[in-house]
This record gives sequence, C-alpha cells and structure tokens, in this order.
Amino acid sequence: MKFLFKILKDFPLYLWSGWGAIGSIFLFIALWDAGHQYYGSLVLPSPLETFTTLLGMLQDKEMQEAIQTTLTRAGIGFGIAVILGTSLGLLAGFFMTASMMSRPIVTILVGMPPIVWIVLAMIWFGMGDETVVFTVVVASFPIVFVGSLQGTRTLDGDLSEMARSFALPWHMKFFDVYFPHIFSYVFPAWVAALGMAWKIVIMAELLATSDGLGASLAVARSQLDTAGALALVVIMIASLLFIEYVILEPIKREVELWRS
Amino acid sequence: MSQEKLHATNHYLYYPDEENIPPYLAYGFRPIFLLLAPYMILSMLLWILAFSGVIPFFSDDILVWHVYEMTFGILTAGALAFLTTGLPELFPGMVPFVGKRLKYIVLLWVAGRVSFWFIDFTGVFVAASLNLAMLGWIIYFAKDTVFDKLQRHASLGYALAVLFGLEAWFFAIQASLIEGDAMAVLKLSIGAVVVLILLALRRVNMEAINELLEDKGIDAVYISRPPLTNFAIFAVALFSLGEYFFPNNSTTGWLALAAGAALLAITNDYNVKDGFILNQPYVLYLGSIYLFLALGYAFIGWDILTAQGVHANHLRHLITAGGIGLSYLMVMLIIGWIHTGRHLTSNLATHAMVLSIIFAVLCRVGIVWFEAHAMVLYALSALFWCTAFGLYIKQFMPFLLAPRADGVKG
Repeated sequence: MKFLFKILKDFPLYLWSGWGAIGSIFLFIALWDAGHQYYGSLVLPSPLETFTTLLGMLQDKEMQEAIQTTLTRAGIGFGIAVILGTSLGLLAGFFMTASMMSRPIVTILVGMPPIVWIVLAMIWFGMGDETVVFTVVVASFPIVFVGSLQGTRTLDGDLSEMARSFALPWHMKFFDVYFPHIFSYVFPAWVAALGMAWKIVIMAELLATSDGLGASLAVARSQLDTAGALALVVIMIASLLFIEYVILEPIKREVELWRS
Repeated sequence: MSQEKLHATNHYLYYPDEENIPPYLAYGFRPIFLLLAPYMILSMLLWILAFSGVIPFFSDDILVWHVYEMTFGILTAGALAFLTTGLPELFPGMVPFVGKRLKYIVLLWVAGRVSFWFIDFTGVFVAASLNLAMLGWIIYFAKDTVFDKLQRHASLGYALAVLFGLEAWFFAIQASLIEGDAMAVLKLSIGAVVVLILLALRRVNMEAINELLEDKGIDAVYISRPPLTNFAIFAVALFSLGEYFFPNNSTTGWLALAAGAALLAITNDYNVKDGFILNQPYVLYLGSIYLFLALGYAFIGWDILTAQGVHANHLRHLITAGGIGLSYLMVMLIIGWIHTGRHLTSNLATHAMVLSIIFAVLCRVGIVWFEAHAMVLYALSALFWCTAFGLYIKQFMPFLLAPRADGVKG
C-alpha cells in the first residue's frame, strides 16, 4: 500500500520529467518535416498531415475494432508468456539441474528469428488468432524466463540463512526476503517482454491475418497510402510509449530503487 | 551592528582604495539599477507616445526601433550590472569595478539611450558608435571569461561576442551600408539574448537557490544540470536559425515546439533530491522565467503550424517581456537584496512585482484572442509593467543609495 502511495505521489513530477524527451521527439518531427519538404508527400507525408489522418482514424469504428483486436492478441500472448516464463523460470532457478538443462534451450529460443516462428505457426495453425498469439508467446517467453531465472539464482544466500536462523514465518520470508529481490529482476523482464510482444504482434498480423493493426498496415501498403501507414506507426509507437513510460516505468523505478 | 556573515560578503578579495566613493557608485549594479528601473517606466511611456504618433520619433520604422531598444538597450544595462557584480565573485582576485570609472561607463550607457531616442536628429552613426562601444566595453570587461584556462564561464563571453556581431549587423543594415532584413536580424538577436540568459540563469539559480536553502535551513542541494540547459540552448539556437532562413516554414514551427519543451525540461532541476523546494517564492519566481520562455516558443510554433505565424509578433512578448523581462527583474531583485548586505527576502512587494510583470505579459499577449479590446489591453499591459518597476524603485531605492547593511564595502 505504502509502495503504491509512493508511486502515485511521485507520479506528477515523474510525468513532468518527460519534457526533455518530448523536446527530442519534436526535434525528430522537425527532421521528418524537413524530409517531407524535400521528398514530397508520396514518399514522406508531413507530420501535420499524418496527425490529421491519425485523428480521423481514431474516430473510425473499424480502426477502433482493429486496435482492440491487436491489443487482445498481444495481451493474451503476453499473459501466457508471463505466466509460463515466470513460473518455469522460478522453478528452474530453485533447482541447479533444471537451470543447467534449460540454458541451451533458452539460447535456442532466443536465437530463433521471430519471422521463422511465424512461418512455422502459419503451417501449424493456419491464418488466424492462434498463429499470432503463438508467435507472441514464443518470442516473449525466453525474456521473462531468463529474468526470473536470474532473479532466483542471484538470491543472497546469507540473507536466506539469516531468515532461517531467525525462524521467520513463511509469509515474511517470502514478502520481505525473496519477493523484493526476485521482483526487481522479473518486473524489468516483463517490461522488455511487453515491448517485444507489441512488435511481434504487428508483424505476425501483417503476414498472417486479415484483421488488426498489422493487417491495416498491409492494406495501407498495398494502396500506397503513406500517410495512413505512418499514422498506424504513430498509433503503435504512441501506445507502446504510453504503456511503457506512463504505466510501467514509474513502477520499475520504485522496484529497482533499493538496488542502488 | 552584529549580524551573521552573509554569503555575498566573500564576493571579492580586494576592494579598490579609491577615496570618497558615494554609495550609488560603490558597486557595479547600484547606478545601473537606479537608472534601469525608472528607464523601464519612462521608455514604456515614451513608446506609447511614439506609437500613437504624439511624438514624431522613428519616422522610418518604429517597430524595428522598438524591438532594437527593448533587446539591446536593456540588455547592455542588464549585462553591465550582472557582470560587474558577478565576475569578481566568479574570478576571485578580480578587482571590483567601482567609483569614477563606473560612473563614466554608466554615462556611456545613458548617452547610448539619448542618442537612440534622438536618432532622427543625430543619425544612425552616432547611436551605432555609442551603443556598439557600450557592448564592446562589456565584452572587454568580460574578457577573463574567455581567457580563463578552465573555460568555466567562457560561454558567457562567446554569447556576448555573437550579440555584438548581430548588433553591428543590424546597424549596418539601418545605415544602408549593407542590404538585409533588420527585423529578421533582431529576431535572431532575441534568440541570442535567450541563450545568454539561459547561461546566466544557470549561475544565478545555483547561487540564489542554494543560498536560500541554507538560509532557511532546508537540507537539500540544488544542482542546475548543464545538459538540460545545453539542450534548451541547442533547441533555441536551431529555432532562431530556422526562423531567420525559413520564416513561417512548418519545420521552423516544430523546432519552436521543441525549444518550448526543452525549456520546460530545465524546471526539473527544481525537483531536488531529499527535499521539497517548490513552495519557495524565489523558486517559483525563477521557474516562471522558464515557463514564459517555453510558452512563448510553444505558442509561436503552434501559430506557425496552424496560422502561418500571423500572431508571432504578439506571442513573442511571452519570450521578451515575459521570459527576458522577468529575468531582468529577478537579477535586480536577487542582487538588490544580497549585494546590499541583506538576506534574500520575499515579501508582498516582490510578489507584486513578479505578478505585475506576469499580468503585463498576459494582457499584451491577450490581444491575439481579444483583438477588439486591443487598446485597453495595450494600456493595461503598460500599466502593469510600470507598476512592477515602480514598486522596485519604492522598495530598493533606499538600499541602492545607502551603504551595505552589513557594513562590508561595496
């Protein structure tokens, strides 16, 4: 509770600290605008035109549904990856043998390009939700797994010994000794996995479905609608920035605070 | 009189042994502030008379000359006070500039003002040589900043040199020596003044706020982080160049928005670790400078993107009267307290001065939205502006005319 209160208390000043980032983004938009003036609207529509298209899109019912579809797919895939990755990572972390065994497999999973998974998933599941969700799970699972494995492996042995010798009740042992440490590893891994999930879901949709943001992007491409495509990109980036920097980053900061 | 030692008592190592220095010439800022505050009021009245055609000055282009005077005429006074007061503190061992020599330099500034107001009769060359000589002397006085091996404050010197170049360029155009757009050069100069102010403010902030925190026993350290200021300077410079080469181009508009955001980012310095200082009046005063500069750039950017910059002339007053005007007032307040041997104090008068400037700016800029009431707003704006400096005269005239309250020389 205290933890939550502190996050909320720091939140306005945290938000205010974003002005520098907004300044950089505006400089980038200025560069984009200069590019538009040099290359013309077909190659690079002006930022203003893109934002106008974007506003129109957001009021469009179909587009709202597409966003919802994509969010649902990413959410389900990410959720499965988090549950599987965290629990298996914890298990593997507590048993040295399991940890040793799982390492090479995770390396293989991490090393496999997501596009290969999409191709395989399209063969296995056909065109549809399963393909997308599967790809998201497979791409983000290893990140979460490694995070929670690390968290468990790096637990301070002295601290747990102290907890044992003072005969702490199990809930204190868990919430005061293990949890803060493990969570400070697991949570950043979740954030990283979410970023991955969001990127993969668009790519999978573009190749394997007929609805969702990725599919809309494919349509914009086939119609040479550069403004529409850029507006979609803005939606994707803006939603990721929002989730990552407005919702998750403040929590991450608090979680990692004790480490420094 | 027993009083605890104040910070600014160590602001010089040696004091010149000139005899019979009157209090108003005992330190660089004194004669300047004694003249600058009344001049702010007098010039506002003169501008009203000139713009309404009652006095037939500046027959060629009154707007250009108005921008010139409010940019360079006031700047030289502000820079003179800031540097003659601050440099001996930044470079221990430097002898304060006081007494007779100070009097002559201040008279040079006054001559510059007279030559400016009577430019229709005395000609551009007289005004140009007097005013350029003034800024040139300031740069000569500040040469130590540039020659300093550590280059700690060199940026101040370089910014002044750039301003000298811009002023010379402006006069060359006005004297028809070269072709050019005088107003565009002045807009560029406003960008350079903002850069100079950002550089100066970083130092003022560090001094004033930390002194305040120590004074009030607040256990926190304020640090003005250079990267934030440098980013803002970079963005402001980019916008100013963009405005010169591509006025009202959409890219310039986005650059203005970037400058606005970058300026707001500087206010994050006030969020100090281990303490809360946002309830301190001086923090709010100083913070409002960044706020007004930021609003100015942001609104100009918005105006360029949505209306081809038709309101930029009005909106620019957020930067000039607001940001720059408040900076001069803050320097006058902070130096006026500390360097007359007093604690940095906020009272009803200081609140009223800052609020008056803010109201003056809001009225001036409000013309964009309430064009029908333009005349009333012009008048109100001038009234608030004069109120601010009138209050300054009332509060500080006695301090400036008397020796330091703590008995230290200077």
